[in-house]
Amino acid sequence: MIWEVFRQEQAGEYHTHCGNVHAPDREMALMFAEIQHGRRKPTNSLWVVPQKEIGEVDTEEANFGGTTDKSYRWAQSYSFEAAAEEVADSESEQVQAERQRGDD
Amino acid sequence: MDIEQVKERAGPREFSPKDDLPEEYRKAATRMIQFHANSEIMGAYLEKPFIRQAPSLDRKLAFSAKVQDEIGHGQLLYRAAESLGVKTRDEMLDELAEGKGKFLNCFHYPMDSWVETPMIAFFVDGAAMRRQATLKQSSWEPYAHAMDKVCFEEGFHVKHGEAILYELMTGSKKEQELTQEAFEEWWPRIIQFFGPTDDKSTHHDFSADVGLKTMTNDELRNAFLNAYVPKAEKYGLEIPDEPRIRDNGDSTYEVVEDDLDWDEFFTIAKNDYDPGKGQIDGRKQAQDAVEWVRETLDSHEQRFAGGTQPQAAD
Ligand SMILES: [Fe+2]
Ligand SMILES: [Fe+2]
Repeated sequence: MIWEVFRQEQAGEYHTHCGNVHAPDREMALMFAEIQHGRRKPTNSLWVVPQKEIGEVDTEEANFGGTTDKSYRWAQSYSFEAAAEEVADSESEQVQAERQRGDD
Repeated sequence: MDIEQVKERAGPREFSPKDDLPEEYRKAATRMIQFHANSEIMGAYLEKPFIRQAPSLDRKLAFSAKVQDEIGHGQLLYRAAESLGVKTRDEMLDELAEGKGKFLNCFHYPMDSWVETPMIAFFVDGAAMRRQATLKQSSWEPYAHAMDKVCFEEGFHVKHGEAILYELMTGSKKEQELTQEAFEEWWPRIIQFFGPTDDKSTHHDFSADVGLKTMTNDELRNAFLNAYVPKAEKYGLEIPDEPRIRDNGDSTYEVVEDDLDWDEFFTIAKNDYDPGKGQIDGRKQAQDAVEWVRETLDSHEQRFAGGTQPQAAD
């Protein structure tokens, strides 16, 4: 049975996917995950999830973010100086997200 | 863990559903997050009619995206609250429908005209964002994680609100006057967003001691005034004489509390303010109208849960 492994580097952070292990049950999956994924990289916690329990939808089936121009949804479309630090932070996160999505 | 241990360990994102937390913490966190979730939902309902009333296609699209975001924030927050194990999402939604769920003062007032929209979308969203940015450091990890996504999205709300304000304040004389009038009406409510000054607020000490929140009402109000008073002035809005706000010249302000209507504020806090009651009922009707959807989903979920058991066992 295949188990997907999610690692959290530090308390309070997110568990992010880091690979998978082959193991007959949850206990051993945790043990293998610890050995394979928790030994070198900084690790606070690991999750294992049976691979077949994971649902997936990808860009072949879905248009994440839609198919039309949604620039009105982004802070950077409004050319005003951010009113406060947290507004500026949000805007730079959105700029980065826009870049990663590959929009122009 | 007992409450003393919680206070000792309290820090940003310190506690998660894995921790065995005392009821006092779980109840206080539930109250705070439920209030926040309710506010997202009630704010969305207040703004929803303006999707229709928006003066241009761009505004309509942006407004509908914003309202969609706010409903999403409500959903994220009900999850963060639910994970404390005190109340289920259904219970919280029912409490909101029955008028028992509490929410932000500003969302109890009616909003009738387009010139009022930046009062919410710029000033109230701005105030909320100030507060939410500090809640990324909350000790309840699911709450802090919800704030990551909320703050990611909110920058658009505030800047879009600012764009509407700019448009109105550079529009016709009539638009400028009506916007100023709306501002005068909303300004005291916006100041009250942060609640009474610290020595009058009841829940602060405990929430701060256990790390649920990291800043006081006064600190948040000061930070808000520092950033948004100059913006209001920049667009030609005149700050009303009352409530009197004393600029101490060191990034702190003193609001003369007696200039604000605290009777109204506490009436609102009890859900006893008439326009607010109307809004609660309006949302209840929407909730009742889709009862059949919830029922269908619930029975589907039961069937589905039955179906996966053998699979999970292999
Ligand atoms: Fe929101
Ligand atoms: Fe918002």
